[in-house]
Amino acid sequence: MADLVQLLLNGLSTGAMYALFALGYTLVFSVLAVIKIAHGAVFTLGAYFTFLLIGGAVGANGLLSGFQLPFALPFWLALVLAGLAAAAVALLIERVAFRPLRQRGADPLLALITSLGAGVVLVNLIQLLVGAESYAIPTTALAGLPAAIRLLGAQVRTVQLLLLGVAAVLLIALTLWIEGSRSGKALRAVAEDATTAQLLGIPSGRMIQIAFGLSGFLSGIAGGLVGLSVSIAGPYFGIGYGLKGLGVLVLGGLGSVPGAVLGGLIIGLAEAYVPADLSGYRDVVAYGILFAVLLLRPQGLLGRVLPTKV
Amino acid sequence: MSRRLRISAAIGLLGALLAGCSRQPSDELKLGSAIALTGNASLLGQDARTGLQIAEQHFGEQQPKLKLVLEDTGSDETSATLAFRRLINDRVVAILGPSLSQQGFAVMPMADRAGIPVIGISTTAPGIPEIGRFVSRVASPVTVIAPRSLAKAIELNPRIKRVAVFFAQDDVFCSSESSIFQRAIRARGLNLVSVQRTSISDTDFHIPVSNALRNRPDLIVISALPSDGGNLVRQLRELGYKGPIVAGNGMNTPNIVPVCQKHCGGLLITQAYNPALKNPSNAALLQQFRRGRSSDAVPPQVTAQAFTAYQVVHESLARIKANLRQGTTLIAMPETKLRQQLLSTLLAGTYQTPLGEIRFTPEGEVIQKHFSVARVSMSPDGRSGRFVLLK
Repeated sequence: MADLVQLLLNGLSTGAMYALFALGYTLVFSVLAVIKIAHGAVFTLGAYFTFLLIGGAVGANGLLSGFQLPFALPFWLALVLAGLAAAAVALLIERVAFRPLRQRGADPLLALITSLGAGVVLVNLIQLLVGAESYAIPTTALAGLPAAIRLLGAQVRTVQLLLLGVAAVLLIALTLWIEGSRSGKALRAVAEDATTAQLLGIPSGRMIQIAFGLSGFLSGIAGGLVGLSVSIAGPYFGIGYGLKGLGVLVLGGLGSVPGAVLGGLIIGLAEAYVPADLSGYRDVVAYGILFAVLLLRPQGLLGRVLPTKV
Repeated sequence: MSRRLRISAAIGLLGALLAGCSRQPSDELKLGSAIALTGNASLLGQDARTGLQIAEQHFGEQQPKLKLVLEDTGSDETSATLAFRRLINDRVVAILGPSLSQQGFAVMPMADRAGIPVIGISTTAPGIPEIGRFVSRVASPVTVIAPRSLAKAIELNPRIKRVAVFFAQDDVFCSSESSIFQRAIRARGLNLVSVQRTSISDTDFHIPVSNALRNRPDLIVISALPSDGGNLVRQLRELGYKGPIVAGNGMNTPNIVPVCQKHCGGLLITQAYNPALKNPSNAALLQQFRRGRSSDAVPPQVTAQAFTAYQVVHESLARIKANLRQGTTLIAMPETKLRQQLLSTLLAGTYQTPLGEIRFTPEGEVIQKHFSVARVSMSPDGRSGRFVLLK
């Protein structure tokens, strides 16, 4: 019994990480129908911002060698500010890599490439400034909380439970906002047809910026939390999550917020239930499930089939 | 021209001629280095670059002058191939690198076919020197290094019976090191209770950790690189594992400290570099390394190995130069002949390096005398740590 609970908790907490990452991805896709490949780089930046804001010092390599902010914020405040800084970067990416192409009516595939370019530039900029060292948010950041707790006979790290909780809260908040608020409805209208929405008086450009800003904020928060959980393994650590997040996005249904969370949890659980002897092949199992689901339901688990306009 | 000016010019010319006759003409050769400066293995590359730059400063004023040409291999085989191609086209006299054995198997044959001596800095997987005649390395093979830390762990904890192993299966060095660890574990009659395969790009290990801990191991042995290995150690400790941990050579760098923080304490790692060694090369390395760092800062092993690789090439070229006929230069030698002579001189020599006295087998395998096992000791706040050599 304890083993089953352990596997379940392992799967849910891993899935929560993927879901957190995929939420930002899906938000931009829902509006622009374009995958923001630079999302992984913004996620990485969120982790570095959090590290610096809690008083972390840059290592010996990189142009900012030895740099440290003159203050150290509590983790939760630093996390929110890092999210805001990541949102600013996401807005910059929208301005530089997406808007010019959108204004020219370019093929969405081109935006995928400019986004990839922006991501590569960001990652290399991080390495230039702070080096390739790994950084870790101190284990004391969650002052007062134990490193791990026992739950129904299973051992689980406190930070994993936090990730699960934050993913759940963000899912509810995002769903309420998109479904219930005026601006959320405006966002859905833009997602449906930006030109028609504009004709109806909805500022499409502004709504796209809101989607990017929110997506950046979410990825910044996710980066900080994942950085707390597993450390910041160098400037490239967001890339692996980016690939996995893409799988989660497709599995859940492109552009679906609840789908992103469901997809994340399914992939997390699938990885957890891979037998120990085959632990190195977890990705094969996860992507195998993705493949099978797409064969049966190409729009993903919670994705919608859009009617063809004639 | 006035008489006084003519006399001055004649004296100047005579002086210049005499100076030229009294010593060998100067040489400047290009020495290539291809290391991982980006990607997952860039921590190793950064450490190596530090060692190479210190060596370049140290040997900079000595003949023959070597101009270091640094290329980034990334952390994959494709980027390493491009880096080696650029260096081969740049007509370097030798190549130092690459950072990973996995890359070594892909690119060292290129240098071998081009007849360029290539000296591995941190490539410790079995089979590297056997790649070709021009291939050698200063990093002792994992077959020599790995069993020492395991033996030390058992010596310190004689009641160890059950062992769990983790290794990054997508890295050839980690895989080969782990198979050596696993053989040694079985050879000692220990019970190998769990083998968990991970990836060098993994960050979240709580699933394999839970799987391994269910088997109640007394000892855990890890073959991974700094980032993934450091994370794994941290998560092992946070999920309740309190026993000893043996870490492989891929984690042999102070760069793991920021990752596993206080949880790094107690890790056992075999050391090919002993900072307490007393010889001029190590003194130079320590002195330069500590500039801008604390006065007791210790270079990572890979930094010492990179310095050593540069040193053996420089000393070998200096020996060739010393045997040249008066007035001739290394640059004037045919490229192929110079490289072949460099290879034979390098393999025949004995060197006093930061790694201690080293020499090579005819196949290019390094023979190093001294190794030790270090235990990582962390400061109370978990922010800094030291590799303390065990007796």
